[in-house]
Amino acid sequence: MTAQSPQTPATLADDPVGVTDGGKRRIGVIRLVRRYPTIAIGGSLVVAVILMAIFAPFLGTTDPTAISTRMRTREPSAQFWFGTDMLGRDIYSRVLYGARVSLVVGFSVAILASVIGLAIGLIAGFVRAADAIIMRVMDGIMSIPSILLAVALMALTRGSVGNVILAITIAEIPRVSRLVRGVVLSLREQPYVDAAVAAGTRTPMIIIKHILPNTLAPIIVQATYICAAAMITEAILSFIGAGTPPIIPSWGNIMAEGRALWQVKFYIVLIPAIFLSITVLAVNLLGDGLRDALDPRLAKQF
Amino acid sequence: MDRRTFIKTGAGAGIIAASGGLSAPALSQGAAAKTLRFVPQANLANFDPIWGTQYVVRNAAALVWDTLYGVDSTLTPQRQMVESEEVSADGRTWTFKLRPGLKFHDGSPVLAKDCVQSLIRWSFRDPMGLMIKAIQEEIVAIDDRSFRWKLTKPYPKMLLALGKNNAPCTFIMPERIARTDPFQQISEYIGSGPMKFVRNEWVPGARAVFEKFADYVPRSEPASWLAGGKRMLVDRIEWVIMPDPATASAALQNGEIDWWENPIADLVPVLRRNRNIRVDIGDPLGNIGAFRLNHLHPPFNDVRARRAILMALDQEEFMRAIVGSDDSLWKPLPGFFTPGTPLYTEEGGEILKGRRDIEGAKRLLAESGYKGEPVTMVVAQDQPVTKAQGDVANELLKRIGMNVDFVATDWGTTGQRRALKTPPAQGGWNIFFSWHAGADCTNPAGYTAIRANGDRAWFGWPDVPAVETEVTAWFEAKNLAEEKAAIARLNKAALDNVVFVPPGFFLTYTAWRSNVTGITKGPLPFFWDVAKA
Amino acid sequence: MLVYVVRRILATIPVMAVVALFVFSLLYIAPGDPAAVIAGDQATPEDVEKIRRSLGLDRPFLIRFGEWVWQIVRFDLGTSIFTGLPVTQLIAQRIEPTLSLMVVTLIIAVTIAVPMGVLAAWKAGTLIDRTIMAFAVFGFSVPVFVVGYILAYIFALELDWLPVQGYTPIARGIWPWFQNLILPAIALGMVYIALIARITRATMLEVLQQDYIRTARAKGLSQRAVLFLHALKNAAVPIITVIGIGVALLIGGAVVTESVFAIPGLGRLTVDAILRRDYPVIQGLVLLFSFVYVLVNLAVDLVYTIVDPRIRY
Repeated sequence: MTAQSPQTPATLADDPVGVTDGGKRRIGVIRLVRRYPTIAIGGSLVVAVILMAIFAPFLGTTDPTAISTRMRTREPSAQFWFGTDMLGRDIYSRVLYGARVSLVVGFSVAILASVIGLAIGLIAGFVRAADAIIMRVMDGIMSIPSILLAVALMALTRGSVGNVILAITIAEIPRVSRLVRGVVLSLREQPYVDAAVAAGTRTPMIIIKHILPNTLAPIIVQATYICAAAMITEAILSFIGAGTPPIIPSWGNIMAEGRALWQVKFYIVLIPAIFLSITVLAVNLLGDGLRDALDPRLAKQF
Repeated sequence: MDRRTFIKTGAGAGIIAASGGLSAPALSQGAAAKTLRFVPQANLANFDPIWGTQYVVRNAAALVWDTLYGVDSTLTPQRQMVESEEVSADGRTWTFKLRPGLKFHDGSPVLAKDCVQSLIRWSFRDPMGLMIKAIQEEIVAIDDRSFRWKLTKPYPKMLLALGKNNAPCTFIMPERIARTDPFQQISEYIGSGPMKFVRNEWVPGARAVFEKFADYVPRSEPASWLAGGKRMLVDRIEWVIMPDPATASAALQNGEIDWWENPIADLVPVLRRNRNIRVDIGDPLGNIGAFRLNHLHPPFNDVRARRAILMALDQEEFMRAIVGSDDSLWKPLPGFFTPGTPLYTEEGGEILKGRRDIEGAKRLLAESGYKGEPVTMVVAQDQPVTKAQGDVANELLKRIGMNVDFVATDWGTTGQRRALKTPPAQGGWNIFFSWHAGADCTNPAGYTAIRANGDRAWFGWPDVPAVETEVTAWFEAKNLAEEKAAIARLNKAALDNVVFVPPGFFLTYTAWRSNVTGITKGPLPFFWDVAKA
Repeated sequence: MLVYVVRRILATIPVMAVVALFVFSLLYIAPGDPAAVIAGDQATPEDVEKIRRSLGLDRPFLIRFGEWVWQIVRFDLGTSIFTGLPVTQLIAQRIEPTLSLMVVTLIIAVTIAVPMGVLAAWKAGTLIDRTIMAFAVFGFSVPVFVVGYILAYIFALELDWLPVQGYTPIARGIWPWFQNLILPAIALGMVYIALIARITRATMLEVLQQDYIRTARAKGLSQRAVLFLHALKNAAVPIITVIGIGVALLIGGAVVTESVFAIPGLGRLTVDAILRRDYPVIQGLVLLFSFVYVLVNLAVDLVYTIVDPRIRY
């Protein structure tokens, strides 16, 4: 979401999480919370959502896809905590199960985009011949607004969570690869990398010893933002009807189906919207916290 | 003065002060009264009513192009552009004479040759047109106002063909435009109807504008559907496309639009609470859902698998998913023809009535040899009616033990995929959904979906000779009793062999501001006699 | 300078070529058939086939791509399959709403976000700073359509202050035009406000550490003068960068905003075209959007040289 220009190398904070003093874990946790409150808040919210998604079947839910049109559009009640939707499905169950889609999409896109972007960035940074072509392709992809790109890609394939992940990943890769390429190019100028090259160190070794440690921090930070952005993009894609298959309950789908009724049954849109917003907020907070902790230079810039 | 007026006035005053006096609101005051702002069911994406046959194109075209005949509210064809007709004793030669004084929007008179060319183009694209073309000997203009259609054998449904409301209608265009290949779009939108199409204000996907045609001569009879005098009481009609029902609802409540063709039922209570809004059933002939099965491939090439679905199908579930909680909006439909019309029948419909038999369906399915192979169900998500049917069908098929491969897609892709005859694994399909306007399902003339002539049938390609026999029997029927008998046999044959699965009959609402008067119920929105105070 | 401009412009050509090839191939292999949609529900398979042939959809990839490129070179984007209207015309009649929406969004976003960012930087570490930054994170986290619906509900339906939907051409008066754009612009602007506020705060913090600011303070300039005259001027470069990058964000967001508020703009045209597989329109639009993006970034780079004389090319 935060668009970032290529970053210069960053140094790891010496004590990123503040829990090195082994025996005194309690104090460590308190210190962590005090030093990086955003990590603590964001992290615990994310963990809570993950737990909610994993244990959805045990949290008083029913089959989230069971249709009963005789029970449609019931207001929240003791029987239906969050009410029912247009097909009489239980929104509480759908929202809890829906967390799985948002999390899977968010994390998968973050991981895939980071790994692929890293690989492409490394190639572009090290292989002069490929650099120009790769970066033009990346520029090309970047110049297409990511939501449009994802919509177009979704029109290509049949809707599935996998394809949603793929479509959003493709749109996000250029950001990571540009970041990595920037790091590689600036590191190559560093005397110690020069020296390593002169000493005959092979490229894979250079990557492992010098490049990766320096790219890891900004990539992790970037990945959390990508994760947050991917969750919102998933919701938007589903909202305009080009996302997760509608038979799978996802927050975007619940909102898309409820949008026509927002005047009469506001809760159908509002409840998943609140869950989505809180989750994205948590991931963003985590990202901000990690940035402050891992990457002080970046923190200053943004 | 209510709050809104107050704010508007305040704002208006501010603008007048700021811009030195010139004000747009003052200008729009008079114009607004004569402009009707209408939200149609769908986007008017193209505007050739012969080339494209979507309902929305037909509805807009009815304003711009006139027809030779038009059906009235009893579905009887009445003369419209035609002054008189004559049919020879052997029933093979039809001679038509046009009303005097008919003019196209470009000022040229409507001549017989324009009608001839328009009918030729139409006959390439219309099921009834094709039937006439097959027995046509010649169609020629005799003079400026009359033309003759000679056939090799009688065609008793001639006037219905020329006046029917299902698309494509026999819209009359100037000869030079009607010369366009029937499979190419026309690029000039000139008709002789009561409204002119304002092409330079057309923004496909957003807006279409029509202006009153001053030289239109309405018939003297009162208007009834497509028949009678089409008198325009507004000067300008603006079609505003709103893909989001929530937005349309809000706009109607705020008075930003005057008439919303098809509000979704769940929003109707809100609209009803507003004393400035009237809500009523739009089209009493309603719609018939369509749950199509592919007869070419397993499992639905076996009639037992098809019957299994009828056995288990609960029309109430389907209909509630489509129309919402309002029970007055749907009816069970143990058949294929529109309830409330003369040919309606429930012959052979027992299988759709009474308690649903899930276990029986499972047994029948097993007998058909189905062993859990994936069943490809293509569901267009951008049409509420297909989406609702798909959601409920998915649940139904799961319950009778079918392994559903749910393909969520859009209407465009569905359109392409349903045309493929290949097995589902090679890009084909087993199930898709659609719906038909009840007005099209009153008899087999325009009801392509009921036909069962194998390869030439509608998507799903049912091959049921018994159905085809009865279609012919209906066309040749001499009186209503014969027609009814043929249709009853047809209905039974179609259900016994499951030409397609009818998930029920449903109605839709239409809603308008209370200062708008003259809206009539019908299969399409009729704008004649509609006034805005 | 001129050489730089020319070089930058030339550099956009390969990018545009990549986009063109990408978009064309993408849609070529896409499923979905415009012919079937056009023919309507009552059409027979033969009708569909005939329409497909008449549209030229049955010819090979390279021929169609070649023809398309040749057309574009002559500034002809082809004809929409559905409407039969030239794509350039379809785009032209929808540019005003989208452009208006984007401009108003930008203006609202900048006028809200920059003071917010400055204030946060000035009061760094205080409750004000934290509140502003919390709001910024919040702005990133709420989907644009949710903001849109909530705004429409409150300000249009409940309070009846503003229209719910639609667009009034600017030719019919500034106020009617602006009235229709306020809600969508705020909805669309949320992310943007958040983004710009964060950047402004961050760059201001950095600039405020610089020596010359300390000097200015030492000279006895008032706090406000320091902030707005010196600091903000120096913080302009990153802020402008973000505005440039944000154009892509705006276009993406416009798709959703336009559909929520029924604004007949390019975003809705795009979604409609994609859902209907109106290939020439999709191709024209994506090319246009990419072109705008590239152009805006070019402009941003050039603005640097004006805002910050230290940057030279």
